[in-house]
Amino acid sequence: MRKNVQDHKPPMGKEAKAWMQDEIAAQEVRYKAIVDEIDGIENERAAWIEEFLRLIQTRGFYVTGDTKRVIPKEEIPKKPNRADAMRVIW
Amino acid sequence: MARPHIEPFVELNEGYKKFKIPGFIGAEFKTMSLDTDKGACTLKVRFNGGFKRPPGLSYSDLEIFILTGEMHIGGEVCKEGHFLFVPAGVALGATEVPDGCEALLFYNDSEPTFEESDANHELALKEGFVSVNAYEDMPWAGGSIVSPSVATGLFLKLLRFDPLTEAMTFLYCMSPQYIQDNISYHDCAEESYHIWGSSWMMQFGELPTGGYFWRPPYINHGSFRSKLGCIALGRTDSKLHNYFHFNPWSNPEENQSRAAAVLYRQRPQLFRWVQMADGHNHPHGVVGQVETSKPPRDFEFVDYGDHPQTKLLADQNYSFHEHDHLHKDEIAAAHKFAHENGIAHGHDHTSGDHTHDDDEY
Repeated sequence: MRKNVQDHKPPMGKEAKAWMQDEIAAQEVRYKAIVDEIDGIENERAAWIEEFLRLIQTRGFYVTGDTKRVIPKEEIPKKPNRADAMRVIW
Repeated sequence: MARPHIEPFVELNEGYKKFKIPGFIGAEFKTMSLDTDKGACTLKVRFNGGFKRPPGLSYSDLEIFILTGEMHIGGEVCKEGHFLFVPAGVALGATEVPDGCEALLFYNDSEPTFEESDANHELALKEGFVSVNAYEDMPWAGGSIVSPSVATGLFLKLLRFDPLTEAMTFLYCMSPQYIQDNISYHDCAEESYHIWGSSWMMQFGELPTGGYFWRPPYINHGSFRSKLGCIALGRTDSKLHNYFHFNPWSNPEENQSRAAAVLYRQRPQLFRWVQMADGHNHPHGVVGQVETSKPPRDFEFVDYGDHPQTKLLADQNYSFHEHDHLHKDEIAAAHKFAHENGIAHGHDHTSGDHTHDDDEY
């Protein structure tokens, strides 16, 4: 088995352990704040989706590069009936 | 989960914290994202004027991007826009920051480490070292490096490409009035820091100067806009493929399945070999499934399975599949545990409006 420098890493020191603990806790707070912020603009996001669906039926959907395809109305997806339909942070 | 989905995060709204890890005393940091299992992280670091550090190495691959000011490393003056990829174990020369500087630091394998040394570790892959000024030493190239590709108006400077994982680090910019009306997702995690300017995505709104995201695989993003343009540093942790679509409500699990469908259509022979019709996979593992500890043989990169980033990626578990009930093996394990530990339990299982066919557990 090939050995790498990473396999020789000394055990984590107490300062690094404390750092990890603090930063994991801070990240949990940061994640929750992001979820709250994004949930708070759900109405705005719904309007952005509406506009996006309108644009791809008029100007077109970007298939690759600048190649576009106008999407016919019958291909436009319907919002699913599930509680997390508007969820974007995973 | 390895790193949670952090998007959007505007670091300019946050204060710096003092570093207390040896080798970083005198510097301050903001954590943008952190792998809670391994300690791999992305930091914005302020090295205050007068910061000095002797020659030394890290036990993690390290990427540095200078945002403001100057950092002198072993006599080389690294100014704004300077990018370094420092493989684990490669010793950097003595570091001095005469007048202060701010930089992005990416520790790819573990938490920040520093060990004083004026010589490389004997196992260091020193040929991977990169040192380039991304602003001055490279031209902008069109952004269509993969297909399906982004729209015209997005430009790239590829700073680092990992031949094993196809992970990339790149500077990119969007021209003013950039538009791309599609929704994208990838098989890789994607990360970005806005050095200047703003861009907009339909799911997350405006990302301004100082805006950051770490986005796990298979998460929808886009459509895309940039009103006045932006310049940003981007990274992926493995190969980037653009899966474009126009369903704003698809979830990561559906996107993942769709990615497999793309593989089925576009690389049918590979798909057929990997996923056999009778439900088992090649190559054979202990229970007939892919055994990630023994990845498929690669005649070109024989030891690739031992590479730290390959291992880190294989160990990551981005599970978007959530239940309010247990699967068969979980029920069996829970039941066995209850029996062995004298925990009261019943022998019927129903959940919500459905019943499992494994209720004998």
